[in-house]
Amino acid sequence: MSSISVNAITDANGGSTTSINSVTPNVNNLVGKNLIINGAMQIAQRGTSVTGVTSGAYRAVDRFKIMIGTAGTWTISQDTDAPDGFGNSLKYNCTTATASPTYVFLEHRMEGQMLQQLAKGTTSAKKVTLSFYVKCSKTGNFQVNLRDKDNSRIIGNVVTISSANTWEKKTITFDGDTTGTLNNDNGESLTLEMFFDAGSTFNTGAVPTSWQTEAATKRAAGVTLALADSTSNYINITGVQLEAGSSATEFEHRQYGTELSLCQRYYWEITGNIYGGDWSTAGMISHPYPVEMRAVPTFTYDVIRTPLVGSGFGYSSTKHLGVYCGANPYVSNIKATAEL
Amino acid sequence: MYKLLGIDELTNDTVQMVNRLSDNAHIPFDPANTDYQEYLEWLAAGNTPEAAE
Repeated sequence: MSSISVNAITDANGGSTTSINSVTPNVNNLVGKNLIINGAMQIAQRGTSVTGVTSGAYRAVDRFKIMIGTAGTWTISQDTDAPDGFGNSLKYNCTTATASPTYVFLEHRMEGQMLQQLAKGTTSAKKVTLSFYVKCSKTGNFQVNLRDKDNSRIIGNVVTISSANTWEKKTITFDGDTTGTLNNDNGESLTLEMFFDAGSTFNTGAVPTSWQTEAATKRAAGVTLALADSTSNYINITGVQLEAGSSATEFEHRQYGTELSLCQRYYWEITGNIYGGDWSTAGMISHPYPVEMRAVPTFTYDVIRTPLVGSGFGYSSTKHLGVYCGANPYVSNIKATAEL
Repeated sequence: MYKLLGIDELTNDTVQMVNRLSDNAHIPFDPANTDYQEYLEWLAAGNTPEAAE
C-alpha cells in the first residue's frame, strides 16, 4: 500500500476533467448531490400498498404524491420489481380504467431552502439533470416538468417509453433559469412532476422546453401514454435523481436510516402508545420527534386519554409533541404530517 | 368541515389549532402547514367552521 500526497490533481491539459473510476469529482457529485428524497423508493412509512385510490394524496412510498383527478381507480404500492442496483420501485396500477381522465401524475415537492445551490433567478443559474428508471406496460410519451411555485414558471420535456414491460433509464437536462429566485424558506418552491395521462385542461398547449410562464395547458402537452385507459396498465418508477449540472452521474444511494430521517422531516408515525405523566389533576405528554419537522405538523391518532385540556395538541412545535389531556395520559398510533 | 377548539382554559388564549372533522385531525395555525393553508382557503371561500363546545 502506498499513498499520494499532493496539493492538486489536474488533467493532462491542466484542466479539471481528471476522472476516478470514470467519474470526475466535482461539487455536483459529492454526497448530498441528489435533491430528491427517497428516490430509490426505499421508505414507505404509510404502508407498502394502498388499493382503491381515486384522488390525490401521499400514498405508500414517502415524498412522492400521486395526483388523480377523475381518472379511474388505482393501486399505489412500493414494489420489489426494480432494475439492477435497486431494491424497490413505486408502482401505479390501474384497476378501473377511463378513456377520458382529467389527470394522473406524480409530484415531488421541494423546499426552497434546499435549492439555493441552483442559483435560480441569477445570471449564475445552473442547469439541472434528472435521471430515473421507468418500466411501463405500454409504449408512449409522458411529460416531465419542473414547476417553480414561487414565480409560476415551468420547464418540461417529453419522455418516450420505447419498450413495454422493460426497465429503461431516462435522462433529461433542464436549462438554468435566470428569472425568478426561489424563496430561501421551508415552503414549496420547486416541484418535479411526471404527467402520465390528462384531458384538455392540461394537454392543449405546447411542451415548455424552455423556462416560461406556467399555464395548465402546457403541463401535459406532450403526453400520449394514456395510462388510465386500461386495467392492464401500470408504471414503475425508481432511481429518481435531480442534480446540479448538465450530466447524470451515478445514483446516490443513501443509507436506509439517512433516507428515513430525511422523510421524517415531512411525515412520521408510531404504532403503539406514547405515554406522558400527570400534571396537577391532568396529564401532559411531551415527546421529541425523530427529527425536526418542516412545519408544526397536523396530528391524527386512534385513541387519546380524554379530555383534551387547554390547547390539547397546541403545545406542540416543530421539534416535539406536546399534549395536555386527562390524567394517566397516553396517545396511540399517532401520525404527524408536515408535507409540502 | 372544521371545528374550532375555543379558548385555552389555562392561558385564556384562543387555541392555535382547528379540528378537521373528516379525520379528526388537529391542524396547527402554522402558516407553513399545508393543511392550515387549505383551511384558510376554505375560510376565504366563504365557509364557517363549527363553533367550539
